[in-house]
Formats: sequence, structure tokens, C-alpha cells
Amino acid sequence: MDPARRLGPAQIDVVAQLAVSTVLLGGIYALIAVGLTLIFGIMRVVNFAHGEFLMLGMYLAFFAFTLEGLDPYVVLLISIPIFYGVGWLVYVLIMRGVIHASHNVQIFTTVGLSTALQNVALVLWTGDFRVIRPWHSSVVLRVAGTAFNLSQVVAWAVAVALTIALFAFMKWTHTGRVMRATAQDRDAATLMGIDTDRVYRLTFAIGIACVGAAGVLVSPLYAVYPQAGLQFVTLAYVVVVLGGLGDMAGAMAGSLIVAAVEVAGSYVFGAAWKEVFYFLLFIGVLVFRPAGLFGQRGAETLGA
Amino acid sequence: MTRLAPDRWAAVALFAAAAATPLVTRDTFMLDSVILILLWGSLSAGWNVAGGYAGQVSLGHAAFFGIGAYAAALMSARHLNPWLGLAIGVGLSIGAGGLIGYLSNRLKGPYFALSTIAFAEVLKIVASRWRGFTAGSEGVPVPFRPGFATLGLGHVAWLYLILVLALVCYALQMYLERSRVGYQLAGVREDEDAAEALGIATRRRKVQAVVLSAALTSMGGSLWAQYVGFVDPSHVFSIDLSVRFALNSIIGGMGTALGPFLGSLLITSLETYLRATFSGIQAGFTGIYLIIYGVVLILIVRFAPEGVTGIAARWRTRRDRAHA
Repeated sequence: MDPARRLGPAQIDVVAQLAVSTVLLGGIYALIAVGLTLIFGIMRVVNFAHGEFLMLGMYLAFFAFTLEGLDPYVVLLISIPIFYGVGWLVYVLIMRGVIHASHNVQIFTTVGLSTALQNVALVLWTGDFRVIRPWHSSVVLRVAGTAFNLSQVVAWAVAVALTIALFAFMKWTHTGRVMRATAQDRDAATLMGIDTDRVYRLTFAIGIACVGAAGVLVSPLYAVYPQAGLQFVTLAYVVVVLGGLGDMAGAMAGSLIVAAVEVAGSYVFGAAWKEVFYFLLFIGVLVFRPAGLFGQRGAETLGA
Repeated sequence: MTRLAPDRWAAVALFAAAAATPLVTRDTFMLDSVILILLWGSLSAGWNVAGGYAGQVSLGHAAFFGIGAYAAALMSARHLNPWLGLAIGVGLSIGAGGLIGYLSNRLKGPYFALSTIAFAEVLKIVASRWRGFTAGSEGVPVPFRPGFATLGLGHVAWLYLILVLALVCYALQMYLERSRVGYQLAGVREDEDAAEALGIATRRRKVQAVVLSAALTSMGGSLWAQYVGFVDPSHVFSIDLSVRFALNSIIGGMGTALGPFLGSLLITSLETYLRATFSGIQAGFTGIYLIIYGVVLILIVRFAPEGVTGIAARWRTRRDRAHA
């Protein structure tokens, strides 16, 4: 039974609760999706291993909490440089070699990376579901007829702050401008003296840092297991395609739409069927507006 | 009389060795290994028709495999004829393949791959949640009913049955290598606009390739379900399975008739060997096998994207040039 219904109309305003849940989920999805869309927009590579970095972020939070007693919000601070480094390394070791290769080579490189990482986690840490419960995950906030827990609110606030920071970085710093220039036209950027290899390295590192941080943020809310990334990443694909692959503002809007579909779908039809709705939405968008809801028509047939 | 090309000889040797196995040994482990090599090879050949020959790289072929597996298993579980299930599965997969093929006309590269993943995911969710019809995520056990009509066979009979499937797949691929349709598909794969300009019905050819590929994969799925005896949604519709079909073809050589079988020989033997070595630590084994699988995939597409048959062809050309 849906928690909102169990508490009854006297305590919970259903519409307000659904709206708040949508916004909270949307903020977290945005942070996951923004890294994916950034990597695609600039490098023209769909990172099929994106979810695995989220899973690694969750494990980092889990082990820091159980072994060292570190709160996930403390871990967040160290996770950003750690995952930045991981992204940097993965770019240098794996992605650099295929950046100019065909789509098929790129697809199967990241798919292979996904399979390998998932199973490294399985071998090292077994397939058990693991849960952490820091104190803030059991604090319930009640505001204006809605109820939600503190971890969710903090995760949302941090996710939104990080996403906004990334936007500001892309818009106002010199490096951000260089990255956008590379996204617009790789060859012209090279002619202008931009070191595209450095841009890609930076892009991949930032994208992975975002999703690693997202993994740490969601760790008090969801179980950790080797395939944990899969549920989020499939969702991130939906978000990113809705918003238009490579479009960061589109990804924000896409996150809210997917969150709304998920929240409304699980309220009306039960949580078991919620994925079906966003996948149907996904296929619908791919068929009718493949360039995304706000994108330019025709981008998808270029194979990007 | 033209001389047989070396990869045709290799194929003849591979299939002859498979056919001769029961004459040499009746060891269940050996027979099982050969059956799985042929079965995964046939399934990869099915993938290869769309991914290799037509260039429509799918990451959702588990959808067709699952449709076939469920069709046969559900028929068997209801004490009906699994062959009828196989036929129904093929029919459904042709419909689904037509849909995916239509998508392939609108979407390229990563967009197409994403849409095929989404398609397989939807089927996975439906199969695991529609309890009344599919028994949900617990899966469907296939009862063993001896006889050819009910597909309850011994290992030797299974081996020859799967060998027939493999030969059919191989023959179809040969046809795609040599026929007019095959050349047209190669044109679509290499440069669609140029092919279109030459008057090739590119859209129709792509849909046909995906439909044929779906039908073969579904057939393999039905036989797999009957052979293994258990179907569960999180396995038969998984991305891992879709990747496996692609992986065999990529390792062996995409768009070649021998490639998928050669890839299956290498990968399936590796899996069987590791399973035998690491038996006992079950969870650990699957992980180690899949780590190798992922790493091999990364290395192959990076350093030898044309696969083993491609490498062999390159060596031959170099040698012939040295002799000339």
C-alpha cells in the first residue's frame, strides 16, 4: 500500500505530496543524467557504463559508513575528487583510444566496461543487498501537509547545488566555454588551438564525478548491490533522450518529467509497474521525437 | 571448380567435429559443451544477420530470445506442444522485429541501441510482473516429457537437432554473403545514402534483415528453454544476454558466416572451462567469467575490431604477398 494512502487524508495532502516527491526525485535524477548528457554532448559517446560508476559511489558510501562510521555527506566531499580521478583514468586508459572510432566500437567499449565493473563488484563484495541507515534517514519532516525524510531533502539540495554549479561552470568559465566550443564543432575547435584531448579528459572526469557523487547521495535511500546502477542508468537514458542527447537544460526538464511519470504511475497503478511507464514514454519519444522534446528535428539521423 | 576458401574449410571442420563427437564419446559434459557452443553460435549468427550484415547493431536481442523461450516454456508447462510454442514465438518475434526494424529506419547508432535496450526492458518487466500468465519473476520450469514431439530429448539427439539449427543459420549467412540481397545489405551498412542513390530499397532491406534476425534468435530461444528446462525473466531478457550474442560475433568477426560460431567456440569453451575450475564457489565463478568477457570485449573492439576471421584474412594476404 502506498505510504501516502496509509497515513490517510487527515495528515497528508496527496497532490502536494506527489508534487514534492516529483521534485525531490527529479533533482537526483538530474545529477545522474547531467553527467551522461555532458559526456555525450561533448564527446559524442553514450556511456553505457554510467550506472556502474553510480554503483561504485554507493559502495564507497556504504564502506565508509560501515567500516569508518563516516556519514555519507562527509564522504560526498572526498567522493568528488576520487571519482574525478577515476573518470580521468578511465578516459586515459580506455576512452581515449576509441574517441575517433565508429559508433559500434564506442558502444561495445562502454558496454564491456559496464559488464566488467559490475562483476568486479560481484566478485569483491558478493551480490547481497546492503543498506545503510545514518541518523538522517529516519528523520521525517512534515511541512504543509507533506511528509518526507531528511536524507531525501539533503540529497535533493546537494544534487541541485552541484547541477547548478556545473551549469555555471559551463556558462561562465573559460574552460566551460572551451568545452562548449568543442561540442559545437570538434574540427573548428582544434583549428582555434583548443586541445580537444584535454577537453575530453576533463569532460569525462566531470561526468563521472557527478554520477559518483549522485551514488553517494542516494546511498541512504536505496539498497546497494552490483546491479544497482542499472535501474538508475536506464532511467537516465530516458531522461537524456527526452531532453535531447547532449542538452543539459533539456536533461533537467527530462528529469522532472520522468520523476512525475514515475510518481504518478506508482501512485495510480502501484510501484511494480512504474518502470513500464517511463520505458513506454522512452520508446514513444524515440519514435516520434528522437531529437528530444525540445531538440532540433533530424539530429538523430545524423547518428550524431 | 573453385577452391574452398580457408574459412569455409574451418566451418566444415567445426561442424564435422561437432557431428562426430557422439561417435567418440558419450560423456555428458562433452556433449553438453558441444551443444552449447552450437546453440550460442546459432544465436549469435541470428544477431549477426542484423548487426553484422545489415549494420543494425542491437543491444536488445534478448527480447526475441525471451519471446521464443517463454513461448516454448509456457506451452510445455501447460502440457501443449513446444513446437507450436516455437512457431508462435517466431511469429511474435517477426512482429516485434518488424517494429524494431521500423525504428531502425528512424534511429542511428547509439539511438538505435538505446531503443532496443528499452524494448527488451519493457518485455522483462511485463514477464516478471504479469504473474497470472508468466508466473512472474519466479520463472517457468519446463517439464521433461520424453519424445521428439515434446522436445524431451537425450544429449545425442539434442546435439544433432541443434546442429541442424546451426547449419541453417550458417547457410542463411552464406546466402547473405553471396546473393544480391547480401550485397545490397552490405551497401546499406557501409553507406546508406550511396546505397539509396543506387536504387536499393534500403528501408525495406533493413527491416527484412532485422525480422530474419529476430526469427532465428527466437527459434534459438525456444530450443534453449526446452534444453535447459527453466526460464526466468531476469535472465532471458537481460542485457548480458544481448551482449553475449554480439560478443561472439565481434570476437569471431562481424558480418562473416563463420565468425559467430568461432566466437562461440572460444567464449563458450572459456565459460565451460571456468565453470569446471571454479565449481563450488558459484557466485565467484559467474563474476570472474563475466569480468574476462567484459575486458575481452573492450580489447577486441579496440585492437581487432574485425575479429579472429579478419585477423586470419590479414595474415593470409600478407603471406600470399610475400610468396608472390
